[in-house]
This record gives sequence, structure tokens and C-alpha cells, in this order.
Amino acid sequence: MIYGDKNTGIVVTGATGKQGAFHISLINEYARQVGGRGVVAGVSPGKGGQEVSGVPVYNSIRDALKEQDASAAIVFVPAFAAGDSIMEAAAAGLSLVVAITEHIPVHDSMQAISYAKLNDCAVIGPNCPGLLSPGEVKMGIMPVHLSSRGHIGVISRSGTLTYEIVDQLTRAGLGQSTIVGIGGDPVIGQTFTDVLRRFEEDDQTRAVVLIGEVGGALEEEGARSTDLPIAAYIAGVSAPPEKRMGHAGAIIEGGEGDARSKIERLKAMEVPVASRPSDIPALIRKLI
Amino acid sequence: MKLLEYEAKAILAEHGIPVPRGSVIRSPEELAGRIGDLPPGFVLKAQVDVGGRGKAGGILMADRTNGEKIAGELFKTTIKGIPVREILVEERLAITHEYYASIAVDRSSKQALILFTESGGVDIETLAREKPDAIRKASLPLLLNRIPPFMLRNLLGSAPKELGPVIQNLYAVFLARDALLAEINPLVTTPGGPFAADAKLIIDDNALNRQGITQNRDLTERERAAEQHGFSYVELAGTIGVIGNGAGLTMATLDLIEYYHGKAANFLDVGGGADQERVMHAVRLVASDPTVKVIVVNLLGGITRCDDVARGIISAGIAQPVIVRLAGTNEEEGRKILDGRGYRMLDSMEEAVRAAVEAVQ
Repeated sequence: MIYGDKNTGIVVTGATGKQGAFHISLINEYARQVGGRGVVAGVSPGKGGQEVSGVPVYNSIRDALKEQDASAAIVFVPAFAAGDSIMEAAAAGLSLVVAITEHIPVHDSMQAISYAKLNDCAVIGPNCPGLLSPGEVKMGIMPVHLSSRGHIGVISRSGTLTYEIVDQLTRAGLGQSTIVGIGGDPVIGQTFTDVLRRFEEDDQTRAVVLIGEVGGALEEEGARSTDLPIAAYIAGVSAPPEKRMGHAGAIIEGGEGDARSKIERLKAMEVPVASRPSDIPALIRKLI
Repeated sequence: MKLLEYEAKAILAEHGIPVPRGSVIRSPEELAGRIGDLPPGFVLKAQVDVGGRGKAGGILMADRTNGEKIAGELFKTTIKGIPVREILVEERLAITHEYYASIAVDRSSKQALILFTESGGVDIETLAREKPDAIRKASLPLLLNRIPPFMLRNLLGSAPKELGPVIQNLYAVFLARDALLAEINPLVTTPGGPFAADAKLIIDDNALNRQGITQNRDLTERERAAEQHGFSYVELAGTIGVIGNGAGLTMATLDLIEYYHGKAANFLDVGGGADQERVMHAVRLVASDPTVKVIVVNLLGGITRCDDVARGIISAGIAQPVIVRLAGTNEEEGRKILDGRGYRMLDSMEEAVRAAVEAVQ
């Protein structure tokens, strides 16, 4: 397992919001199914003493940790306060923060990620679906019924596209060890390279799918950094240059980071690249 | 959002960076009223958001006798398809040397990346390709509120020390304005000191609210509606309307349409947590484009609940055929709602896209 397992206790910030409350119940439903601990505390300043989806709510992460044993946080708070929430989790000594929130100003993300690093806290996201180790732990918003337990690692900059590809893998009988949505923003905490390093030390994982997008060069950096067998899919081949297609991450910047040249660079490293999501299972089969 | 040159320069000036004396005119007649305040020779710079503006004829020299005529001609032109509505009239500088300085968000290091070169006034991408050693770089974590002096010394090398405060102030602009890019090109030296001869400032769209900036782009009616609903929407040239949730899945849907030799009419990402009303507005918006012959809705539930989506599609009540692919949270409920109401529900995105491409052939 990477990042967490059944024994990981989770704190959710922004717990009393609509999304926070909804996903606490889904995460804990999964935890009950697999016999894990799941979310042990919610945090919403000023709402301490309440209960949400059967979980006690505290005013701060520090207060929550006085009564509950947890090592990870999931952030659902609105964009303007999400950077603060990431730093609060890092300062409280948690080793992992999964930031689901989208539209966080990029300077806030950069500061929060730098601050978390000083506190030896890994940040997944922001603007991500979190992670799921089938049969072990869910820390985020991924739908669990598409996944199955197995030996394929998945790392993705996308949210829903990840579910699509996990579904394809499951239908092809290729179960997953851990699925990590690293986020669609230009600046994110854990990159392909960081997650691949964890997969290298993971007994469960035999091959990894990289799901990338137009923009930046994180996919190539990751591919270059690892000896693990990997296959990739890059979204945005049909995206016209200089057009914004959704996330801030998915902008083509003056030719660099466009999907076709990214695919060319990956192929030059002998990484098989799928032209359709449905081609991924066949590419993975060849690797294992 | 990219600011216009004069907007960027006003912000630089607020932070103590010297900029040329100038003012903005919106008609040639305005120039006549200010001619007395101008130096004998000046520059007319079209305020349009395009690269290579100078080469495209957007920057013209003028003097007091021909200024109004030249401004009149510039107002009648379009620069790379963009009409000229505003002109920045600026003093001509006695330039001794041109430099380049920029501070940008760097995805790889997750820090601010400062670039400086003594070969300014050129296209930085070209220089990076041809003479990478001419560009000096420094990475700065945003936890620091000033550039450390050693870093400035390393950046400047043998360049004049008077440029140091300009770069320091540019970092102050970068921080204060939530910039993705703050660039001065060229940064020039003159007998009267350094000046930002041209400036580019791109503000993080996710920070426009706290920066008190409202976007005033030229939008089509549909683009404006999309913005109001918070959809990411881009119009394209084809006939297949596309609605997805999540940028990656929506892009992959467009890519698959291209793979099957179809042409998408648009990209519309409803975003996370789309409820019934948002989906209804999305379907209506895409259907209101007369070139759209068929709509593919490709939604995988995460935060999005499929039952909400199904109700949204039904309540849109549009004329074009809708091909639906739904999976994820509350998937079964979503299917039940759509069942037997004449919507084509397919199991995979592959099938949905192929059905849409076939429908328009």
C-alpha cells in the first residue's frame, strides 16, 4: 500500500459543508465494507461539538487530534480557505493531506505545498479526486464500484477520466493496487515522479498507468525517473492551441506541453502510449 | 487573465518600477488634445492582446505633426484579427541597452522562477533554444517575501546594479497581484535610469475575485451564459455537441470524436458536483448553438450524482437527439430516471461517441 491502509485514521476539513458531509458518509461506508478505520473526525471552525454523518466535529485539527488518532487529512473547504487548511494539517503533524478543492489560487497552493514540505507532510492535489487502494482505503471522492483489487498502479492528473480508465482496467480483469489522482492544477504537491517512487517500494504494484493532459512536462519527468513498467494516455490531442479546456493545468503553453509533442517525447523513452482509453488494458498486458 | 500593456504598466508603476511617460487614447482626436504635453517624438502602441504586435504593425513612431493622422490609421487596422480600440501613446526612450526580466509560476519546482538575460528585446523562447546559457535563472519559494541579495547578484552578473531594485519590485508585483507571469521585455537602460519599456502581466483566474478584477473579454452570447453558470466552454468548428464532467474526460471525449473522424462543436465541462439545474442549463446552452446536430453527454459520477444529471437532461427539453453515457455515484437511479423516455443510453464512452459520429454522417 502507498500513502495509507486500513489502519489510517482520517480527518476531514470542511466537514459540515454539503460535499464534505456527503463524502464522509461514502468514505466510511467503504471503510465498513473493507474493515478499515476511515474518517474519525470532521473539522469546521465554530462547529465543534456537532456530529456529521456519524463523525464528531472539532473546531480545529489540533483539537481533533487530542481525542482521535489520525495521520491523514482530506480537505473539502472552499478555495479561498483551502491553502490555510492544508497548512493547518501539516502544522498539526499529519503526514498526508489530500486536497480535493478546486479553483485554489495558485500562489496559495505554492505556499501551502512549500510549508507542508517543511513539515514533512505530503500533499496530494489540489483539484484532485484523491486516492483509492481497492480493498484497503479510500481517501477522496472516487467511485469505488468501478475499481477492483490488483497489481496495477494508476496515477492521473484528471478526475473523471481516471474513473473511466479504472473502469476499463477492471473490465479487462486488471485490478488496481492504488489509484492516485494527483490533480489538474498547474502546481500540485505529489507529482508523477513522487507517486512512482512510492510505487517502486510497493510489493503490490507491478505496472503503472500514467494519465496525463496537455500542459507542463510532469508526465515526461515521471517517466524518465522510474524503472517500473509504465503505459500512458494523454488527453487533449484535439485541443486547439491557446484554448483553455477546463482546468488551469490543461492549457497549451506556446507549443510546449501540447499533447502530441508530449506523446512523442514519451514514445522516444519507449513508453507505450494509448490512442484511446480503451487501448490501455492491452498495453498493460504486454508489460506484465 | 492577461492584462493589456498599459494596465500592466500602471501596476508596475504602483510598485516603484519606472515606466515611460504616456497615456491611453480611444480616438485620434484625443491625441490632438494632449499633443502639447507630448515630447516631439513619441510611440503609438496598439493595446491588443496578441504576440508579435510590433512585427504585425501595431507599434508606430510618430511626432507632433503627423501623430493624429498615424493614430487615425492605426485605429482603422486590425492586428492579427483584433480591432484596435485603445492606443498607448508613450515618450520615446533613449535606450542604451535592452535586457529581459520575468517571474513566473514554475510547475516543476513549484516555486517562482526568475529569468534574466542581458539579450533583451527578443523572443525569449527563441533565445532559450538558441543560446540557453545566455538566460540566468533562480528559483524562489513563495514563502520568501523578497529576493535574497545573493540571488539578485547571481541573476544580474555584470549587468548594471540599478536593475536590481526593478527585479525586486517585479517580485513584489508578482506576489501582490497573484501573477502567473510578470514580465518586462525589454527592460531598458537609458541615461535617465532603467525603464520597463514593455510589460506583460497574467493574473491567476482563480484569484480575480480577491484582486478585484472583472473580466471584460469579448464573449459570444453562449460564452457569456457559460461563464455565468461557471462552465468551461469553448466553441469549435464541428456539429457534435459535447458535455462532460471534468476537463480530462471531456477532452478525452473530443479526442475520441476526432479518432472516429467526427468533429466536435464545443467543449463543455460542467465541473464537479453538477446538480440537476446545472446539467439542464448545460444541455440547453449547447443545444442553442444552431450548428449542433446531436449532443453527447458523457458523465462519470464522483462528486456528480447521476440521478441529478438524468433529471437535468429531461428538464432541458431540447429538440436535438441526446446520446447519454452515465456511470458513477447513484448510477442505477440515473438509469431508471432516463429509461423509457426516448434517450439513447449507452454503456461506454466509446459507443456513445461512435453513435454520435454516425448520427451526423
